[in-house]
Amino acid sequence: MASIAAAPRRPGPTGLRAVTRRASRWDVKVSPYLYISPFFLSFAVFGIFPIAFNVVVAMHDWHRRLGKGDFVGLDNFRWVLEQPAFWTSLQNTFSIFALSIVPQLALALAIAAVLDQNLRTRTFWRMSVLVPFVVMPVASALIFAQVFGQFGLVTPLIHQLGLFEGVDSPFYQERLLSHVAIATMVNFRWTGYNALIFLAAMQAVPRELYEASTLDGSGRLRQFFSITIPNIRATMIFVVLTMTIGGLQIFDEARMFDGTGTGGSNDEWLTTVLYLFTLGFGEWPDRLGQAAAVAWLFAAVIVVFTLLNFALTRRIASTKAPRTKIPAAQTKRLLAEKRAAAAAAERAAREAGVPTLVGTVSRSGHPDALPSSPTPSSTVPPTASPTSQKGLDR
Amino acid sequence: MRINRTRGAAATAAAATTALLLTACGGGSADAGSGGGSGEKPETLTVAAWMDFPQELLDGFEEENGITVEINSFPDGASAQTVLRNGLASNGAGLSDVHLVELDWWTEMMAVPEDWATLPEVPGRWVDWKQSQGTVDDEIKGYGTDIGPLAIAYDAELLAAAGLPSDPEGFAEFVGGEDATWDTFLEAGRQFTAASDATWTDSVTTPMQAAINLLPAAFEDPETGEALPLAENTAVRDYFMDFATAAEEEVSSGIAIGHADWGAGFQSRQWATVITPAWMTGIIEENAAGITGWTIADVFPEGGGNWGGSFFSVPAAGPNVEWATKLADYLTSPEAAVAMFLENGQFPSQLEAIEDPTVSETANEFYGGQTVGGIYGQLAADAGEAAAGGYRGVNFAGIQTLVMDGLKRVEDGSQTPDEAWDSVVEEFDALGLTD
Repeated sequence: MASIAAAPRRPGPTGLRAVTRRASRWDVKVSPYLYISPFFLSFAVFGIFPIAFNVVVAMHDWHRRLGKGDFVGLDNFRWVLEQPAFWTSLQNTFSIFALSIVPQLALALAIAAVLDQNLRTRTFWRMSVLVPFVVMPVASALIFAQVFGQFGLVTPLIHQLGLFEGVDSPFYQERLLSHVAIATMVNFRWTGYNALIFLAAMQAVPRELYEASTLDGSGRLRQFFSITIPNIRATMIFVVLTMTIGGLQIFDEARMFDGTGTGGSNDEWLTTVLYLFTLGFGEWPDRLGQAAAVAWLFAAVIVVFTLLNFALTRRIASTKAPRTKIPAAQTKRLLAEKRAAAAAAERAAREAGVPTLVGTVSRSGHPDALPSSPTPSSTVPPTASPTSQKGLDR
Repeated sequence: MRINRTRGAAATAAAATTALLLTACGGGSADAGSGGGSGEKPETLTVAAWMDFPQELLDGFEEENGITVEINSFPDGASAQTVLRNGLASNGAGLSDVHLVELDWWTEMMAVPEDWATLPEVPGRWVDWKQSQGTVDDEIKGYGTDIGPLAIAYDAELLAAAGLPSDPEGFAEFVGGEDATWDTFLEAGRQFTAASDATWTDSVTTPMQAAINLLPAAFEDPETGEALPLAENTAVRDYFMDFATAAEEEVSSGIAIGHADWGAGFQSRQWATVITPAWMTGIIEENAAGITGWTIADVFPEGGGNWGGSFFSVPAAGPNVEWATKLADYLTSPEAAVAMFLENGQFPSQLEAIEDPTVSETANEFYGGQTVGGIYGQLAADAGEAAAGGYRGVNFAGIQTLVMDGLKRVEDGSQTPDEAWDSVVEEFDALGLTD
């Protein structure tokens, strides 16, 4: 780097030197791109190209083996929208998603909060939380399928409780229960993983905030909701977004839930990606075009839903500490007013000959002083602390 | 110096990029990409299949030809089907030298007959209809392994406990004897279910599939290949309503082969009969291990039938087509068929093997010492040419799944037979196959 930076300053651009200089300049301009190019080239080949090619497939009749057929325009999209199975699959996907995201977020936050305390053998606890993540989804699906099967662990218990008595295998016959079973597999796998991400964010929350609030007499629960949650807001958003995208694409668990892997006889647990798979790679040899159309329609759904979740998460994560945006000018004005008032008070006090402490107000912009400060919390939001600001940028 | 270094770095980066992309693109097709088959002797040949092979059979080929045979073993036909599907769609990538192809997905795999090497004729080895099933446009594309003559396997102890005839002759008479039909089979089922806690059969989808297999044109027009309107398909509808009505009366457990609970159902004696193609005898033996009483009845509704059976075929894109053809020939010889029968109960499609006393007279320990091969031989002979089955076009498998899902909905109690049929027709119409 040093040599590159020095190169342009060299005098006398003649002959060999000119070549050197030009080479150096090219080096500066081009090399960085070359260094990062492997990723982008392979992304173009394995990412961009398939996505673009998918448009072509979606516009044609496409046989798995014979390849491209007639151009059909948007017919495949129309066809998909007319299939009852497509709509059922969307409902199932969102139902399973809702059943997994809510308990998962709550559990992951709780586990992270516990791990964030000063435990003995910390590393052990943190590692244990990640163990389910190491288990292959297919393997865990097979095991859970045994648990929820007709002769499995849970079903006889349910029957003994007098529930679903006429139903032999409730987890395979009742739509909602099949969603619960699949969501359980998802939660088993991802809760620990998300807990660790939350833990990392929690550890970046400045401890002074907790100390200060403890001095003020707030309990653990209050601290969790008023300090921890607002301060890991950025991470919450990240986790919810990745959960949304990953959760909606659920496939493995639904595919492995029973022997045939086509989502149940009544499409009870047919998720959209599973529907795409059965269309394109299942028993219909000539429906790749329709499968590609499902992919596009579903991608649109995911984008919309992710944006929705993004907006929602931003709100949730900040309700406890409303982020009223204060313009810099207003802050300046307030500070000036305070200073003027302080100065006036000081002047008045000096005139009256009384000593005063009011002068400290001018430095009260420091966030650590806030929880105990009499200033209304809306004036300067707690999220304005430098540490959490850094967190936001991630 | 500096020039060299920077240029070197750039060149290295470029080279690395290219190399990365090349490796990335080349992966996976290396073993099958070349294709054609030079005839040069390979060290090993691979066979994709999902049943057990007797080791002596494979060793025999190695002794003869000096080529080791390696089995790429799949847990079931469906996973072998997926691999084959993907391989054919990507110019033979990831395929084995020889593939076992099931009759149920034969049509799909033969969409492009050129994908498969044409095999030399072996006159008089197979029953005629098996050989014609394995022939596409007058070219032999598959050497037959086994056929699936149909029988009824039943749990004699459950029948005895219900006070019904449990010996093979008595049972045969009970389900209708010589003139058995699906109606008499289901009628027997109603009697049994009334007298027992167990159900009559594992799932009505199995007999339904057996019945559909025998229809000359179940879902599609053999002339045009077009799908027939399901709403007007009375043959299928009649069968559907018969089986669905029985299912509604809980004659079946609703757990077909392939269901996660199928094995557990045998272990807890959930059902008394299973419609059993010959290749299923070994599978039942595995799943019902330790349960005594299972017996094969030499009777079958509607004069008997056939379900499945497979072929060994050679992907044309493979590097060792010539030797692979030789291996397919070897693995479907009558001697090999006898060895396979002893290993896993597959009933031979080879004439010589069917008559071999080892097949027809070997007592099967699991089925109470019955000569299972002999029983299936008789059933196959009774079924005759009809066992070849009807026309199967491109959409056969997809439509069949729709219909079976409808039956399953009745079995699990979520729909009545009428509702189920209506929803099957509705789903079929939404597909737009007959527009």
